[in-house]
Amino acid sequence: MARQQPIELFMPPNMLKAKAGGGLGGADMAAMKRAEAAMDTLKGEFTDWMAHDVKALMGARTGYAGKPDAQTRAALMRAAHDIKGNAPTFNFPLIARVAGSLSKLIGELPAGQTVPSTLVDAHVNAVLVIHKQNIQTTDDKMAQILCAELDSRVEEALKGPKT
Amino acid sequence: MSGYRFDRLKILVVDDNAHMRKLVTAILQAFGVVQIYEADNGQRAWAVLRESNPDIIVLDWVMEGMSGLELVQMIRTNPATPNPFVPVIMLTGHTSIDHVMQARDAGVNEFIAKPVSVKTMMSRLVAVIEHPRPYVRTNGYFGPCRRRRGAEEYRGPERRAESKQQAAE
Repeated sequence: MARQQPIELFMPPNMLKAKAGGGLGGADMAAMKRAEAAMDTLKGEFTDWMAHDVKALMGARTGYAGKPDAQTRAALMRAAHDIKGNAPTFNFPLIARVAGSLSKLIGELPAGQTVPSTLVDAHVNAVLVIHKQNIQTTDDKMAQILCAELDSRVEEALKGPKT
Repeated sequence: MSGYRFDRLKILVVDDNAHMRKLVTAILQAFGVVQIYEADNGQRAWAVLRESNPDIIVLDWVMEGMSGLELVQMIRTNPATPNPFVPVIMLTGHTSIDHVMQARDAGVNEFIAKPVSVKTMMSRLVAVIEHPRPYVRTNGYFGPCRRRRGAEEYRGPERRAESKQQAAE
C-alpha cells in the first residue's frame, strides 16, 4: 500500500540559463573541438597517471594484507574502484575490467567475511602485468583469458564454499 | 554554434583523484570556464561551495570520508547550504542501474559513467542549462524531481516509500 503524503513540486527560476545564455541550445562545437585538443595533449600523461593508480592499488593491497579490517578493506575498495573508473579514460580497458572484477569481489562479499588474499593478489598482479606490458586494447588473447579466469573465480567466491 | 557563455559560470570539481580532476578541469577550461574550484574530498568541497557558491558541481561518488552521495544530501537539505538547487553532475565508475537510481534518490541532477568524454561532459552541461528538472519536496526527499517526464502533470501521493535521503536521517 502506497503512503499517502503530499508532495510539493515547483520549478525554480533558471538562473543558469540566464547566466550562460546560448539562445540556440545544443552543443558548442567549437568548444568541443578545443576540449578534444586539450584531451589529446593530456594523453601523453595517461600512462604515468595509470602507474600512479596502480601504485595506490598495490599500497592498498599491502595495507589489507597486513591488517584486514573494515578500514583497509574500504581503502582497497576505493583503490580498485578508482582504477575501474579511470583506466578506460586512460586507455587501459583491460585493467578496468580486472579492477571491476576486484571491486565486485570486495563490494559483494559480506562485510564479515575476509576477502580471500589469493584472489586479491591475483587481481593486483594481473593489473601489474597488463600495465607493465602496456596493453591498451581489449584484443590481447592472454589478457582476455586471464580476465575471464578472474571473473570466474570471483563468481565462485561470491557463491560461497561448495556444500 | 550555441554561444554559451561558459566563462560566466563557476564550477566546482570534486574528486579524490588528482589526475581525474586535472582532466575534467582541462575539458572545462577548453569549454571556456574560467572560474573552476577544486576539492579532493567531501568535507573540503562543502567548505569550498559555502565560500564560492558554484553554479554547477561535478562530483565523484567514491571518496574517503564523506562520499559524493552524502555531500549531495547535505547540499540539498542542510540549512547552511548556499544553494540547495545547484545542479550536481555525478561522475563515477559506478555504472549499474541500481547505482544510477541511488544517485537519483540522493538528489543528483545528471549522471556521467566513466570513461570521461568531451561529448558527454558537454551534453550534461547543456542538459542542466537547457532542461532543468523541477524540484520536489516530500517528507523524506528534497531535490530534482526523479521522474524524467510527466512530472508537471503528476498530482498523486508520494509513492517512493524509501529514499536515500530518508535512509540517511
